[in-house]
Formats: sequence, C-alpha cells, structure tokens
Amino acid sequence: MSVGAKVASQSRDVWQKARQGRRPRVVLGAATVLVLLSLLFLPLNGQPHADWLQFFGRFHPLLVHLPIGLIVLLPVLEILGTRRPALREAAGLVLQLALATVLVAIVFGALLAYGSGESGTTVTRHLRGGILLALELMLCVALRRTWLEAQHTRAYFVMLGVVLLTLTWTAHQGGSLTYGSGYLTRYMPPAMKRFVAPSAVSSHPNSFFAKHIYPVLDTKCVSCHGTTKEQGGLRLDSYESLMAGGKDGIVIAPRNPDGSLLLKKVTLPPSDPHFMPAEGRAPLTPDEIARIRAWVSAGASPEARSVPGIFIAGDEEEAPPPVGDYSALMPQIQQMQMSQGAKLVPVSAEPSDGLILRTTDVASTFDDAQLAKFQKFALFIVEAELGRTAVTDDSISTLIQFKNLRALHLEGTAVTGRNLAKLTSLPQLAYLNLSATKVSSDALGPLKNMPNLRHLYVFNSPAEPASADNSVRSTQ
Amino acid sequence: MKQHPLCTDCEDKITPMDLPIPAGLKHEWSKCESRRQFLGRTGKVLGWAALASLFGEVGLYHRALASVPEAASGKDNLRLPHFAPKAKRAIYLFMSGAPPQVDLFDYKPNLTAQFNADMPASVRGNQQLTGMTAGQARFPIAPAHWPFNQHGQTGTWISDLLPHTSRMVDDLTFIKSTNTDAINHEPAIMLMNTGNMNAGKPCLGAWLAYGLGSMNDNLPTFVVLQTKTNPKENNQPVSSRLWSSGFLSSEFSGVGLRSVGDPVLYLEDPAGVDRETRRKMLDAVEEINRQTLAEVGDPETNSRIAQYEMAFRMQSSVPELTDLSKEPESTWELYGPDAKEPGTFAYNCLLARRMAERGVRFTQVYKRGWDVHDNVVGNLPVLCQETDRGCYSLVTDLKRRGLLNDTLVIWAGEFGRTVYSQGGLSQENYGRDHHPRCFTVWMAGAGVRPGVTYGETDEYSYNVVKDPVHVRDFNATILHCLGIDHNKFTYKFQGLDQKLTSPVPAFVVQGILA
Repeated sequence: MSVGAKVASQSRDVWQKARQGRRPRVVLGAATVLVLLSLLFLPLNGQPHADWLQFFGRFHPLLVHLPIGLIVLLPVLEILGTRRPALREAAGLVLQLALATVLVAIVFGALLAYGSGESGTTVTRHLRGGILLALELMLCVALRRTWLEAQHTRAYFVMLGVVLLTLTWTAHQGGSLTYGSGYLTRYMPPAMKRFVAPSAVSSHPNSFFAKHIYPVLDTKCVSCHGTTKEQGGLRLDSYESLMAGGKDGIVIAPRNPDGSLLLKKVTLPPSDPHFMPAEGRAPLTPDEIARIRAWVSAGASPEARSVPGIFIAGDEEEAPPPVGDYSALMPQIQQMQMSQGAKLVPVSAEPSDGLILRTTDVASTFDDAQLAKFQKFALFIVEAELGRTAVTDDSISTLIQFKNLRALHLEGTAVTGRNLAKLTSLPQLAYLNLSATKVSSDALGPLKNMPNLRHLYVFNSPAEPASADNSVRSTQ
Repeated sequence: MKQHPLCTDCEDKITPMDLPIPAGLKHEWSKCESRRQFLGRTGKVLGWAALASLFGEVGLYHRALASVPEAASGKDNLRLPHFAPKAKRAIYLFMSGAPPQVDLFDYKPNLTAQFNADMPASVRGNQQLTGMTAGQARFPIAPAHWPFNQHGQTGTWISDLLPHTSRMVDDLTFIKSTNTDAINHEPAIMLMNTGNMNAGKPCLGAWLAYGLGSMNDNLPTFVVLQTKTNPKENNQPVSSRLWSSGFLSSEFSGVGLRSVGDPVLYLEDPAGVDRETRRKMLDAVEEINRQTLAEVGDPETNSRIAQYEMAFRMQSSVPELTDLSKEPESTWELYGPDAKEPGTFAYNCLLARRMAERGVRFTQVYKRGWDVHDNVVGNLPVLCQETDRGCYSLVTDLKRRGLLNDTLVIWAGEFGRTVYSQGGLSQENYGRDHHPRCFTVWMAGAGVRPGVTYGETDEYSYNVVKDPVHVRDFNATILHCLGIDHNKFTYKFQGLDQKLTSPVPAFVVQGILA
C-alpha cells in the first residue's frame, strides 16, 4: 500500500472514530479547515487595504517563529520520548500549541499580505504553504491520537516528516519575501554556487548595465520589484522589465534623467513617503545614483560598455578569461626551472591566473631554442618577460602558440618587427613592449587590428614618435 | 589527639624545627620526605605529565616547529600573491624629516588673508604639541610663501616650488588625508616603515622580500639607496633599523648601497685571488656553515649562507647595474646633470629605474633634510630643487619604457608640518613644527588610479575632514597593489600572528585603486 493510500485510509479511521463521540472537536476542526481554505481565495493583486490590517499584519514575522520552533521541537521530543515517557507526554502539548500558533500566524500573515497589497508568486506560495502546514498539523493531531492507542504506528511519523518538509519550503518562501530571492546563495562559495544556482545569463555580460546598473537594482530593489513581489506592478529584475515600467508608467526615460521616475524616487528626501527603497531598506549610495543618472543620460543602452563621466575601477580592463589549472604540471615546471634557469612563476595563488615566464637570471643566454622548450606550457603562460634576452624575430612563431598571453616584453632584444603581424592571432595581448629594439613604425601597422592591445611601448626604437612624451601609443 | 613527632602539619604547631636538636639534624629533616609528601608529589607529577602529553602533541610541539622560520621550511606554503597583482615591484621615495604639505600640495588660498592671525584654539583641540612649540605664546598662521597653480587636465593645485612634479600631476594619485600616531621623527618613521613605533618589527620591504621573493637571483630583493646629505639642511638620522627584517630571517633585510665611492665595498676580489679561488673558498665556508647548521640548528646560519652567495653574485651584477655609460642621451636630458653624480637624488632615481628593469622587487630611496623647523623660505626651495626633477624623471622614464604598468612609485614622509609658525613669523620667513594629523603623499603607477586626489583637510590643513587614511591603511593599500591581502599576510612571532599593519584593523583605500 502506498503511503498516500495509507494516510487516506487512516484518516478515514480517524473520521470514524471522531463520529463516535468527539463531535464538538470535529466540528471545530471542520470549521477551521473551511476558514483556511477560504483564505486561498484572498485576492492578492497588489491593492493595499486598510491600515489597521497592516498594523496587525506586521506582527506576522514576530509570531511566525513560534510555530517554527515548536514544530522543530516535536520530532526531538518524540524521539527522546522513547527513553523518557514524560517527554512523549509533553510532545502532545507541543503539537497542539504548534497548531494553535500556526493558525494565529496564518491569520496575521494574511492580514499583512492583504493589507499591504502584496502580489506575486512567492507571496502566494508562502500563504498556500502556511495553509497546507496547518492542515497537515491538524492531521498530525488526529494521527497522534490513533498512534498512542497503538494503531498505525508509522503513519504519524510519516506525517511528521511531511510537516517538516512543508515547513522548510514555506519558511524559505517567507525568507525570500523578506530578504530577496538570492539571499542564501549570494555569498555561497563559487564552486557550490555553480552547482546550486547557475548564474543568470545576460545577453551582454560586459555591458555597463550588466556590470554596474543591474547589481544595484538586484541588491536594492528586486526584493520588492521582482519575481517574488511586484510592488506597484513594477519589476526591476531585467533590462526589459526595467524599461517597461510599472503602473505609474515608465520609470526610465533615456537621455532624460530628470524625467525618470526611478531617479526621482531614489533622490527624494528619505522622510518622504514616496522615497525608495521603501520600508527602511538600505538607500542607494550617491555613487550608485550617479552611475544610474549617467547611464540614463547616455541613453540607457543595454549594450554600451562605458558611460561618459563615470570611471569605475577595473572597468576599462575586462577580466581576461581564466587559463586552465597547471597544478598537475607543477613537477614538470620545477624540473624545467632546474634545467633551463628561466622560471615559470605563478601570477598568484590562484592557478587560473596563469604563469609568468621569467628569464631575468639567464637573459643573456635565453634564445629562441630555449623559448621553444616552453611550448608545453603555452596555454598557461599569460606574461612572457623576454626583455634583454637573445630571442629574435623567429621567437614570434613560438609565442603565437601562447594563446593566453596578455603581456609580452621584448624590450632590448634583436627583434626587428618582421613577424609582428603574426601577433594578431593572440586575442588577449594587452601589453607589448618593443622599447630599445630595431622595430620601425611600418612594422607596427598590423597591430592596429588588435582590439585588446592597449599598451604599446616603442621608446628608443626607430618607431618612436618625434616627441618623447608620445612614445606611449595607444591603439585605441 | 596525639601527634606523631614527625608530622608536618601538627595541630599544636610543634615541628622538628622547633625541637632542641642540632642544626645539622634539622637540615637533614628538611630534606626528608614524608610519605604524604611523596604520595602528594607523585600524584601531581603524574597529573602534569599527563597534561603535558595531552598538550604536547598539539600545542607545544607545533609551536616549536613554527618557530623555525617558514623561509627555511620553504616559502611555497605562503601562497603569495593572494590574488593577481597589478604591481610586481615598488619604488619608495622616502622624504625623511617630513615635507611641509601646506607649502607643497595642500592648497589653502584662504590662509593668505590670515597671515599672522592666531590659529583658533578649537582647531588644535586638546592636542599635545612637541616640546618645541608647546611653550609658544601664540600660534600665528604662516600661509605658504610660494604661489600655487593648477596643472594638468585634472587641474591639480601644486606649489610653484615643484615645476617638474606639476608636469606629471595627471599621472599621480594624491592622498591629502594621511595621518599618523607619532609626533616625533623616530617613532613616526618607524611607524611608517614597519607599522610599529618600536624598533624590532620588519619593514615594508622586508615583508615584501619575505612574501613575494626575488625576481632576480643576482641582485638583492630589497635595496636601499641613501641620498648624500646636504649639511645646510636639518638632517634627521636614518639607520638600518628602517630597513631591518625584524623577526624575519635577516636575508630579507634591505641591502644598502653606499652613496659615495663604490656602491658596495670590496666588490673587487683581492689582488691574486681569481673567481675560481673565490668560489672554492666560498664552497668551503658553506660546508662549515652547513655543519654548524646541523649542529646548532639556528636558521640564521641559512641566512648567512644565502648572503655569502648573494655577495658573490653581486660582484658581477652590481658593476653592471651601476655602469651608466650605456644610457642613451635621452636619459641625461630627462634626469639632468645631477644624475651623473653618484649619491644625488636624481642619480638614485636613475639607479632605481635600472633596478626595476633588472627585477629588484623593492627599492627605497631616502632623502633627508625635510625637517624645516626654521628658515622654510631658505631651505624648502633647495630641497625641492634637489628632489623635484628626480621624481618627475623617474615616473616619466618608467612610463615611457613601459615599466609603470607593473611598478608602483610611492612618495611620502613620516608626517606633515604645522600651518602655524614655529618661532618668529615674518613676511620673509617662518618655521614649521611636526604635525601628525595630516600630510600629503603621492603614488603613481600600477594599482592606483592616476589623476585622483583623495581625502580633504580643513581650511587650516590641520585636521582631516574627509576620508582619513591612517599609516596602516596606506601600508595595506601598498600591499594590495602588490597582490597581498594584509590581513592574511602574517608571521608567527612572540605568540602572535604578526603583520605589517599591526593588530589594529586597517583598510585598503578603495577610492584610489585602479
């Protein structure tokens, strides 16, 4: 017999028993079930109601922890009760108290939701979870009686398990309402996070909106204007919903920050009843407001990567993609060091930051052949310090296999720039030092096609521009 | 109750010591042990032994292991840098004696009208002054003697005393709200360098050498260059305490190059000793040292072996380092004629650039003489003339050679100077006393955002009114630029996890980071 069928048949027994002489209690129970079920039809459409409803409703977060504690206490008492009968006796009282407090909490919760005009899936789920929990607890009360009379030993404990699961789910919905849906996972270690909650995929992950506007909305606004709640019919959890606006119309007017409702609301004096974020939540910082204002002034584009007048640390240099983990190659790397003298130095304790090829100690003897021996580690090398070594133009053919190379030092070498065009196949190369070489300005031509090459140094070479101050040339 | 005559805790207080017996016997008695004493002591000993064996494994034994410097047991377990650093190396231009921020960087135009006015007592509050001005009857305001002008695209106000620095303001990051705990040179300069006013702690350079290690096996990881003193200036002493490795292994302490004569003494092998002989001799010495190490186990013996080897390699690397004959003409155009004379500030700046190229992790250039208690008008222009061009040349040279991308340059003194005059104030001259509550420092290069001015002082350049940066915050920021989380970078000593930024919480100055 399946568990469900078991529970059903036992409920039937309970019902039979109840009919035999516990009529007042059954009537009370039936009335409670009716009231609870009627709550399911409570209209939660974002329409606020009388203030007194909210006044009482706001005691819900306070009251709600009482049944939680009692319900969690229940299995503890039942289990310990096998040894000490007194505890088992207490469990009966705790169960009834739990049921009573759950009912009170549900009433206050309904007052809060109805009074403050909540809407959205999370609040509905929370309410339904609470009602389900109350019904299950009532069943528990009945089942416990039969259990004590030595019938249906297992059913009560199965029901208790179901109660605990329902409680967890309902409490989580309530937590999401209060703290926002990402509260639990926000500071989860990244490895775990990938497993539990795959990050939201944005169509423009490097845009100014994704990097600097969305995080502000996510932390400060989405707990009330998101999937969990939709206060004022407004959702701020994506670019599209932000631009769509809410019941009061659009909240972002591109190129018109003063006409954007969102900016108006967050810059009101905090005492103003229309000030956002409401209910004493953390206000936006002047920095965040400045970013949003600048972004709106610049057209509120979902794609733009930068916004005039706003400089954000680390913004102009996008995080380069992580290289693979070289830890497994460590013995080989160390052996290489012993035999070659040139070193492969970790950029940081994080293996995905890559390795630096350091030749300082053996610069005068480090040539193309030596460099070729490092091909095995090509993908892990992010910076090649080849300054003042004996490498020549031929080294470039080896270097283009260092696909993750971000910085290349060739200063003071015999490089003439013959093969520089090949470097265009290094997508990450951001820094190239050709100071004190024989490179001519013509040889630099092909480098103009490298969008990531931001720092090119040709000091003391034929390619150096006439004015010394301009020896730093940007290709952008 | 009848007591046994040998009972030691007699109720009637008569012990054998009270009996009329010879002193020799009494002495013998005192050495005897009663059954009670024996049993009691045995019990205690067993208890202690049990406790020791319980703790011994986990506590004492590991403490003993930990006292061996981690360097000896391999630095790899430090796992530094903690994150990908912006800067690989740093050059620290230390202005010993404390430059007057009011005259150089902290522009206060309103003060001109208040010449010789008394500084309001409320500004000073209950601050305790130095003995040099505490007795002054009044604290007359001495506005900067030299005009300020705006420079660069950032429009930064700089004194006309620094024409070269003015040209690179867009590359610099100024902190005007730096403040310290000490009001006198020695504690302040120790605090700046080691994070502690008392001697004995490792300095910033030693921490970096210990944590990040060398980038060039042939040169020291941490080099100190002293600028020749100008006898007309008020030179405060600078000593090896400031580049000491403290409780870290002594191989991490700064190696000072001499400012006059040979940069390193006895660099040449003595007459009749060739490289081969020298090598053999060092090998023999090393063998003896290794025996000593095996016998005594003092980790300092390891340091000594390392230092012998370093000295041997420096015999060839230092002459190459200090040989400026291959510098292109553009170098001399930039640094000026001073740079050709060893021991000048400009020369040291050039040397610092050459060391940056050659992989020296941390170079500290000391310039003394900024302690202008009197005759500011006479001394300050000289000091600025001595240092201004060197600073500009260093930053510019690093920039054009592509080195500023991974080098952090720092310019700082140990505290600031007062806005009020020490001694007599006239239109022609004034003096300035020590002032720990605010001073200006600048940084440039890797890790910091160029063209930023951080922090503000009040209208008297006396108290910080916005974004204070304590010395430990400043040091935490420097470590951050080099990829180090100052809270995680510790060394166990005297039972503490010692760190550069002291046990007091320190904060990286996020507002200036690139």
